[in-house]
Amino acid sequence: MTREEVLDDLRKKFKDDIIEVFDKSPKRVYVEIRPDSIVQVASYIFKDLKARFNTASGVDLRYHMEILYHFLIEDINLLISLRVKLQKPKLEIDSLSPIFEGSSWIEREIHEILGINFRGHKDLRKLLLPDDWPEGVYPLRRDYKEWDKNVIRDRGV
Amino acid sequence: MSIKLKALLKSPWVFHLSTGSCNNCDIEILDCLTPRFDIERFGMLLVGSIKHADVLLITGSGNRKSMERAKRLYEQIPKPCLVVAVGECALSRGMFIHSYNCPVPIDKVIPVDVYIPGCPPKPEAIIAGVVKLIEKVRKSTEKK
Repeated sequence: MTREEVLDDLRKKFKDDIIEVFDKSPKRVYVEIRPDSIVQVASYIFKDLKARFNTASGVDLRYHMEILYHFLIEDINLLISLRVKLQKPKLEIDSLSPIFEGSSWIEREIHEILGINFRGHKDLRKLLLPDDWPEGVYPLRRDYKEWDKNVIRDRGV
Repeated sequence: MSIKLKALLKSPWVFHLSTGSCNNCDIEILDCLTPRFDIERFGMLLVGSIKHADVLLITGSGNRKSMERAKRLYEQIPKPCLVVAVGECALSRGMFIHSYNCPVPIDKVIPVDVYIPGCPPKPEAIIAGVVKLIEKVRKSTEKK
């Protein structure tokens, strides 16, 4: 399949799920989809289009949070980023780890650092933060405040 | 104490510990071992186990998880030992000073003998620091 065929195929197949397709460059496409349909779209891209799951990235944008799932179709050198917007109070999305194991750790990381809950993830333990990190404190959120009383923030000069 | 330190100066074996650095300091330390700089002429050798080491060499900014491990390593190293901090991150955490994961500088957790600044320090700077360390320890043992 060529690049245009892939994009037309996605547009046709997921007419109701896709909100916007942003064609950034010959190598890169951003596809914004509704949060409920992430499992369908991601499994279609992964299984039928034979894409490789690179990684996911979470961003806190004042009024909503955004997760970008990056898929690379190597044959045509096209990077598809699935963009999902989650409205602020209710931060929940279906986990992709039942479909492909590779998303398991990055979902754990997004869960501990941004506090997004992944439904259906089997093992949402902490990945990078220490075990004594307090519950409900998410360091890369915009409203993060220093919680530790023992920190030293000057260089001692 | 003094005879132990004196014996240590002939061939200080080094254990290299990275507490979450960007690996640039680690590369410069490996450069010191190459024939061009040849730090082995001071009897220095990188060892794989902390129990064989006389010098604990620390790079990186020291985050919450790795400092627990660093503390445990410092307890295991045979005393008397020397601690060398290499790079701006190990000295004052550099650009990570406001990071949520780097609460205290390394020298508040482990007593540090020599600070080698730079981002990353040149191999020459590391050798200069090490020579200064040897000189300092030699002088302190001669007095006694």
